[in-house]
This record gives sequence, structure tokens and C-alpha cells, in this order.
Amino acid sequence: MGGMGRLWSYVLRYWRRYLLGALCLLGTVSLVMWIPWLMRAAVKVIEQGGSLWDVRYYAALIAVAGVAQGAVRTISRALIFNAGRDIEYDIRNDLFAHLQKLPVGFYHAQRTGDLMSRVINDISAVRSLLGPGILNFVNAPAYYVYGIALMFSIDVRLTLVALIPCPLLIYAVRRFRGRILKCSLAVQRQMAELSSHIQENLSGMHVVKAYTQEANQIRDFVELNRDFQEKNMELARLRGLIGPVMQALSGVTILLVIGYGGLRVIRGDLLIADIVAFIAYLHVLAWPTAAFGWMLSLIERGRAAMERLEEIFKIEPAIASPAGAQPLGNGKYGIEFRNVSFGHDGKANGEAIIKDIDVVVPRGRTLGIVGRTGAGKSTFAQLIPRLYDVSSGAVCVGGRDVRSLSLADLRKLIGYVPQDPFLFSTSLGRNLAFGRDEVTDEEIEQAVRTTRLDRDVAIFPEGLQTIVGERGITLSGGQKQRATLARALVTDAPFLVLDDCLSSVDAETEDMILRGLRSTIDEKTCVIISHRISAVKEADEILVLDEGRVIERGTHQELVARGGLYADLYRQQQLTEELEHIE
Amino acid sequence: MANPIEPTNGAARNGNEKAASLPPDQLHQEEEYGKAYDVRLIRRLWRFLIPYKRLFFAALLLLPLLQLCGLAQPYLMKIAIDRYMAGGDLHGLFGIAALLLVAVLGEAVSGYVHYYLTMLVAQRSLADMRIAIFAHVQKLPMSYFDRNPVGRLVTRMTSDVDVLQEMFAAGAMTVLSDFVMLLWIIAIMLYINVKLALVSLALIPPMFIAINFFRHKARRTYRLIRERIARINGYLGEAISGMAVIQLFVREKRSYRDFDDLNAAHRDANQLSNVYEAALYSMVEAAGSVSLALLLWYGGGEALAGAIGIGTIVAFKEYINRFFVPLRDFSQKYTVMQSAMSSAERIFQLLDTPIAIDNPPKPVVPKPFTGEVRFENVWFSYKPDTPVLKGVSFTVAPGERVAIVGATGSGKTTTIKLLSRFYDIQRGSIKVSGVDVRDWDLSALRRHIGVVLQDVFLFSGDVRANLTLGESGISDESIAEAVRCANVESVLTRHSDGLGAHVRERGSNFSTGQRQLLSLARVLVFQPEILVLDEATSSVDTETELMIQDALETVMKGRTCLVIAHRLSTIRNADRIIVFHHGEIRETGTHAELMQKQGIYYRLYQLQYATEEEPKPADDDTAAKL
Repeated sequence: MGGMGRLWSYVLRYWRRYLLGALCLLGTVSLVMWIPWLMRAAVKVIEQGGSLWDVRYYAALIAVAGVAQGAVRTISRALIFNAGRDIEYDIRNDLFAHLQKLPVGFYHAQRTGDLMSRVINDISAVRSLLGPGILNFVNAPAYYVYGIALMFSIDVRLTLVALIPCPLLIYAVRRFRGRILKCSLAVQRQMAELSSHIQENLSGMHVVKAYTQEANQIRDFVELNRDFQEKNMELARLRGLIGPVMQALSGVTILLVIGYGGLRVIRGDLLIADIVAFIAYLHVLAWPTAAFGWMLSLIERGRAAMERLEEIFKIEPAIASPAGAQPLGNGKYGIEFRNVSFGHDGKANGEAIIKDIDVVVPRGRTLGIVGRTGAGKSTFAQLIPRLYDVSSGAVCVGGRDVRSLSLADLRKLIGYVPQDPFLFSTSLGRNLAFGRDEVTDEEIEQAVRTTRLDRDVAIFPEGLQTIVGERGITLSGGQKQRATLARALVTDAPFLVLDDCLSSVDAETEDMILRGLRSTIDEKTCVIISHRISAVKEADEILVLDEGRVIERGTHQELVARGGLYADLYRQQQLTEELEHIE
Repeated sequence: MANPIEPTNGAARNGNEKAASLPPDQLHQEEEYGKAYDVRLIRRLWRFLIPYKRLFFAALLLLPLLQLCGLAQPYLMKIAIDRYMAGGDLHGLFGIAALLLVAVLGEAVSGYVHYYLTMLVAQRSLADMRIAIFAHVQKLPMSYFDRNPVGRLVTRMTSDVDVLQEMFAAGAMTVLSDFVMLLWIIAIMLYINVKLALVSLALIPPMFIAINFFRHKARRTYRLIRERIARINGYLGEAISGMAVIQLFVREKRSYRDFDDLNAAHRDANQLSNVYEAALYSMVEAAGSVSLALLLWYGGGEALAGAIGIGTIVAFKEYINRFFVPLRDFSQKYTVMQSAMSSAERIFQLLDTPIAIDNPPKPVVPKPFTGEVRFENVWFSYKPDTPVLKGVSFTVAPGERVAIVGATGSGKTTTIKLLSRFYDIQRGSIKVSGVDVRDWDLSALRRHIGVVLQDVFLFSGDVRANLTLGESGISDESIAEAVRCANVESVLTRHSDGLGAHVRERGSNFSTGQRQLLSLARVLVFQPEILVLDEATSSVDTETELMIQDALETVMKGRTCLVIAHRLSTIRNADRIIVFHHGEIRETGTHAELMQKQGIYYRLYQLQYATEEEPKPADDDTAAKL
């Protein structure tokens, strides 16, 4: 399904309202067109010396038509514009739901700003196509057909004279449309250039200052600004022309009617009333004419935007629940990695991030993972809740391949603490309760105590009600990490996966947290990833990863005795601690 | 708990919905609904118009002409119909038609020129404003950039200035002249026929009340719409950045519900606004018809009696139409003005940010320049009460090569940033060539000091521009020399365009090692007497490492060097090593002396340098992003 096909399916949902709206529009147009006709009749009475009550009769009809026209117009606009808003709402919801299904890998390849711009701006553009676009699409032809037909019925020759500027009008519209589109694109491009210059200047401010390049930077900026200004003026020159040109053309048309029509009135083969009606009709037609070019550009922009949305819609979620997944049932499980390799884009060869890992974590046991930055530790953790899928081998939970479980079932088993402590900009309490639908105060307090957040919460002005700000900006790094740990503990899931989640917490506090953790998570199956040896020391088994491979494995004592990378890391850590303690 | 991800309260900068192509942090600023007209702000805005005041007044002076041409047309039609058509005067009719043509063309031409001049003034003065902001930002101290996200500053110079442009384009500046035109219309109608004027104007008071009512309602819904789209923006930004967390905790359904709520609220506000706008629009149209009906009803008798002509009725109909349109548009202009004022407020706030680190009143440029660096009892903190440097004193003699070592957070990087006066210290003094850096001419000081930071920043453009940074008067020979000495030739061989090789944003098409070589070449181009270097920790392949070491040796030769050392070779070749620990200098001496001491340096050495031969792989991207 292409973008326009998808859009069409949305429009069809609201076809009744569009149909009704279109009928109301035709009603509006009829009433609008009736008024000059009535005016002509009234003026005719005056011109030919009829009775005052005939004039008043037509006057009353004009008032009625005017009010009725207003009412029907309100309904038609509300119907069509609101249907556009409903579709905008539908598309935005559907797109959001679709985004939720796309895996983490998708978000790494996309810029947040670009995605947001699609969900906000592109959908807006599509809505303009559906609202004002469709309205004018119905309106303009209706006005023309009606108006020209009525004018012909009054006087053929005068109509033909009035239509003389028409080819010029069509020519002007076509000419402007393409050039304006081109110009506004050029302005947008120049704007983007200006923004990225500013962005770059600010990001590299330390270099600018260090090399005293402020003046040069300003000079470049002035130049870019000049280009921008010129492009803008070019656009303004064109845009500014449309109004006056259209105005002048319609003015000239009226002039022709007055000149030629007046000549015929004087000759006596036309009534002033006919000229009055003509002037009125030409006024009515002026607006759809002026809006014609605008409508075309709305439609074009809307189509392009819909295609951009389609690019997202047509991405199939790479990680999804299998059809007819059997639930795992409640209980405690172990985790197993069976000859697992992982590389981006399914690469399982030399470029893989994880290579041939085999490990079993029996239920209730703890696995520790250490290694340098880039050894593949985080990736290991991410394979368990299927943030990524293995390239070969299998990750199993309770003996079942994780890919055979529904995503919700699988992920509900896991209390996951990611390396980047992401919090939502709500209260601390709500962040902690994030993973559960219902949670008691005691459970939260328990998690707060275990993660040693209790002292911090006591200082916060509003305790757990304190708003943590965007991404938890008001909290320190350590507080954020402990909050994300508490959030995972509150879920009370049978697995706990900690991805180096205490790196910003000082060693002493970390020690206390881990000790507290051990006493509460006795029966949980844990994977603890850390760059600090102290965090994994007590684990039942420790894997040392290097370049995606397990290079050492065993208990803390065994590994220290072995004198390999683990022992090295351990020694370095002891040195660091020693250094920290020198006052 | 009902709402796990509370949407952030906040708002996009302005009324239109195009806020989102920016990073989410900018979408969370509070939107103030200020006055639509703030004398203080207008006065400051006026200052940017002063250079173009002739154009501005020319545009203003065109307004009466524009209005005259517009208002003359119905009157001319009246004469054409009543006097010449009814009177059968063909000659007079063509005369009037000619006048009408003049009025029509006059209106078009003066309208165009007015718009053009207004936009010219707007574009020029706003370009000036943009440059003023940019230039001001260049002078702000580094501490300002630590606190303020880049995106927000970009918004000031782009979107906020755009909102001001909208103010010009929407004709918000001409509200006053619109009002004058309304008075003219009343006057003309009264002049033509008092009774008919009163009849037609009879609708104005109720219309005024009705329009006002809808305008008020519409404005409230505009505000709601802006708030709600901003909430969608905020929520969306957060949901996209936190999508992994939402998926991990299986919160998709709930988050969808939250989004749906926000989305529906936005739709509802818009639909309400659609109804108001449709009603407002239709009402104005209907009022025109009703006025016409009133005219015919009350004027019909006089027209039949020949007291007034048909043309008068036509003219009145036209005048009434012209009367209601500005009334209808006023509400739009009001909203634009409101946004413009709050944008102006934010812009001026930025322009009012004190520069803090500026040239002293009497800047000193000591001659001759010796290159000596002296820290005397320097205390410094980024945040009050958490000192980063605590009484640091040391001297680097001209031509001496000093290495700084210490654990993370010991104050090394801060020390070198202070030397170039990126920050001002709280106590003590830093002297370069015997003069306190705060007395130095700021740009002269920085010219003498070459800084190479760990994270090499490259600008998009080409290699040459990155070496000269746009500085004019650098000869091709000196660039070629720098390229040769810093081993940049090897970098360039892979790019066919040589010095013209394209550099992508942040130099992403160059490897870490290549970027380091380029940054060393940059120093050689600028030839500073003092070199300040924060060696990169990320490792590179052996071949590149050898080239970097070789280039470093060339760059350091004959210069006073202060180096945060991460390479074994650097500390070995240093004349002296200073050991930082918790913001203090704890040990000083040569490598051999310090090793013998078995103190902090000894441990640091074991920790950082002894394992140097082991390769450190590059960062795991996926791990870093989650």
C-alpha cells in the first residue's frame, strides 16, 4: 500500500461526513449564488419602478439567504475540517502505535528530531490536505460552474467579456505556483544551513574561543545571513505579487464589465441590475481564484508528507511476538545462552559483537559479567529481553527459546536496569512504579530502602512526589541509577538484569546496595554486568568478555588465582580505591 | 497510579505546529502568554528598525495611498452607475472607468510596494538581530554553554526570530492603520448618505460584540491548541528517547493510552476552534448579506423615488464588506503579536546575559612575550562550595615541558581551561608572561596559547578551512609546512581532493587518529608560543600512534608545554611531572624521582601507564546508547 492508498483508507472511514460536508458546501454555494440573483431582482424593481414591497420582499429573501448561507457554511466547514482533524488524530495514534513496535535498533539509526518532525509536521501537512485542501477542491469548481452558468444566463456577451482576463489568470497561477514552491524550498534549505552553522559554532565553541575565531565566525554568519535574506526577499517578491496581481485582474474584470456593460446600458439593451449582479458574481469568484494556487500547493505538500509517513509505516517490526506463542506459566526459571553470536544486521562472523557464548544460569543463581568497554557486555544483557535478536544460537528462558515467547510474557519476567538511567519527567514515585499497574506503598518503600534512596528522598522537597525533570535531570547520576534499579526491583520479576547500573554510585554505597540486594533477591536469577569487580565478586559464576568472546570464566577466587585479565582488572581497581583513599 | 509517563508541562515556542524538528529539550520551555503589546519590548525592537527607518516610514506612508485607492473604488462605481449609466453619458463613463483603472492599479502597485518594503525592513533588521545574537553569544563565557543546551540557543536565533518575521508578514504592525481605515469608511458612508449609513452601521455594534465573543473564544482555544501540541511534542520526544524502557517494562499499551489522551485533547481543541472559526467566518459573510437586505429594505423607497441611485446601494455593499474583514482578521493579528512579544522577550533576555569574561578596561599585551606560566594559589569551582582546584601553585618556565597527571576528577582539565581564561578563578592568580590573565587582552592571550583538547572538534567544510579556521593571511607555504610536520599528508592521501577534502559534520568521515593529527597541524598553522594539550585516551592503531607521537614531538619542540599526559612517551619526555590529586598538587618531579617516592604517582603509573601496551577497543555503541 502506497502512502496515498493508506490515506484513502482513512478518508473512507469518514466518507459519510465528507459526503455530507460536500453536500452542505454545494448548499452554501447555491445560497451564495442566489444572493446576487436576488439583488439583481431587487435592483430591477427599483430600475423599472416597481413597488417598494417587491423590493422589500427580495431584501427579506436576501437576509434569509444570507443567514441560511452562514449556518450551512458553518456546518460544512466544521464537518470537513473536523473530519481532517479526526484523520490527523487517527494517523498520529496509528503511527505512535507502530513506533512502539519498532525495536531499539530502529531508534539508533534514526534521529529523534526527524521522527518527531514526521509525527508532528508531516501529519499536520496531511491534515491540511484533508481539510482546507478537500474543501477548496469541492468549492472552487462549484463556484466556477455555478457562477459562469448564471452569468451566461444573464448575458452571454457580457460574460465573454468578463472572461477575457481568465487565460491570464490561469497563466499567472501556474507560473507562480512552481516558482513559489521552488523559492520556499530554497528558503528552507538556507534556513537549515543557518541552523547547522549556529549548531556547529556552539558545539565547537571551545575551539572558536581557543583560536579567537569569533570574528571569523561572525563574518561567515553574516554571509550566510545575507544569502538567507536574499532568498527570503526573493520569496517575498513572489508572494507579495500574488495578492495584488489577483486583485488587479479581478479589478480589471470589473472594469471591463462596467465599461462594456455600461455602454450597453446606455444603448438600452442591458439593465443596471445585470451589471450589479455581474459585479457581485465576480466578487464571489475572486476568492476561489486567489485560493486556487494555495490549494494546489497544499495538496502537493500533503502528498509528499504522506509518502514520508509511509516510509515509517512500511517498516516491519524486526522483533515481534511469534504467532500463537504459548505462555511460559508462572514460576522460577534459569537463563541459558546456547552458542550465541550477535552482530548488527545479522552478522555472525568476524564483525560480531558477541561470539559463541555458552552459559547456563540456573534459577536463583547469579551470573557476573566483566570486561572492558566495548567487550559486548551490554549487548549480552540486551539479548535476554529481545531488545536485539541473536544472529545465531539461542537465548533460552526456562528451556524455551525467547523467540518462541510473546514479547510481553518474556519481558514481564525481567527486571531490567539499563546502563543509561532513563527516567520519565514525572514524579520519582511514578517512575519507581512504572513497571507495575498496581503497587503498594510498602513495595516502593522497600525498593527505596534497598537502593539507599531513602536518604535522598528524605532531603527532596516533596519526597517521592518530587518531579525528576526531563530524563531525570534534577537528580544526580548516582540517584538516577539507583532510581532505575529501584524501578526494576518494584516489578518483582523473577529475573534481574543489571547493566553496569551503579557506575556513578560511590564504591561504598554500591557495596551496601549489593549487600541489601542479595538479601532480598535470594530466589531471583540475576545477571550483573559491571566494570567494577566488587559488584560481581559474589556471583556464582563470572564471565570475562573481551571482543565479544568469553576469555575467562569461573568464580572470583578462581579468576584471581588465574592471573589473567580479570586479575588485572581487579588489581587496577584496588589501586584506584587506594588512590581515592589518599587524602 | 494512573499516569506513569506524565507529559511534560511546557510548550513549543510559538503558535504554529512546526516545533518538532528540534531536539526535545527545546520543547519544554514555558510559554508565557504576555501582552500583545509591550512598550518596553517595542522600544527595543524599534532600535533594530532604526537603520532602516526610511524604508519603514516609506512603507507606512504608502498605507494612506493604499487605502485611498481601495476606498475610492466603490465610490467611483457609484458615480459610474448613478451619474453616467443612469444618465447615459458614455464619455463620462469611460472617464470614470479610466479613474477606476487608476485606482485598481494604484491599489495593486502600492499594496505590492508596501509589502515589499515591509518585508525588506523585516528581513534586514531581523538579519541584524540574528547577527547581534550570534555575536553576543560568541562573547559569552564557557560556563554559559555548560548550562544552556545548544538547541535552545539555536532556537533563539532561528525560530524566535522567525516569529518576529511573521509579525511583519501578517501585517500586525498595521493594526493602527486598519483602525484608521474603519473610521474612513464610516466617514465616507456618512458623507454619501446619512440615513443609509446609519442603517448599514446598525449591524456594526451587534457584530462587534459577536466578533469579540468569538475572538475571545477562539483565542482561548488557540492557546489550548498550542499547549496541547507542545504536550504532544514533549511526550513524543520522551517516548522516543525512552522507547527501550517502555518496551522493556511492557508499557506500550499504557503509553499508547497516554498518547491517545493527549492526541484526543489536541484534536478536540482544534475541532472546537474549527467550529468557532467557521462560525466567525460565516457570520461575517452573513452580516454582509443582512446589511444589504437592510439597505434595500430602508433605502428601497428612496431609490424608487430616485432620491438615491442604485450605485449608492452598490457602493454601500462594498464598503460594508471592507469594514468587516479587518475586524475578522484582528484576532489573528492579536495572536501573532502575542507570540512575537514572548519571542522578543526571550531574545532580549539572551542579549542581556552578561558577558562575564570580557576584555579588561585597559587590556595589556606584555612585550616581550616570555611564555612563562605561573599559577599562584588558585582556587576554582564550577558550582559554589565544591572547589575543583584548591590552592594550586606551579610555574612553567619558558620552553619547559610539563606533564600533568592525576586520576579522573583531580582537576587536570580544569587547570588547562583556566589558562586560556575560559573560566575566571575565584581566588589566587594565573599569570602568563608575568601578567595576570584577567589583565591580558583576551584575544592576544588566546593567540599565544594553542589548545588541543581530547575531543578534537572539526567543523564541516574542507580540511584547509579546518586548519586555518577561516583566518585570512595564512600563506599556502605555512599550511603545507604544517601538513608535512604533523603527518597530515598520510591523512590526505586517502582523500583525492587534498586540502580541499570534504569534512563532514564533527569530522565524522575522519578517524580519531586522523582528527588528532589534524588538530596538531592546526596548532602548527597558528604557531602559538604556549601549547596546552589534553592527550586523547582513546587508542589508535600502531601506525597512526607512531605518526601522532612524531607529530607531537614536532609540535612541542621549542614551545612552553603543559600536557595532560596519557602516553608513556609523553611523561618520559617531560622535563617535569605535576601530580594532581583531589584538586591539589601533591607531587612534583621527574619520572624517576616520583617513581622512587612510591606515592600517588607510583600508583597512577601502575594504573594508567603500565598497561598501555594493551589495546583498548573503541566504545561499544549499542551499549552506550541504551
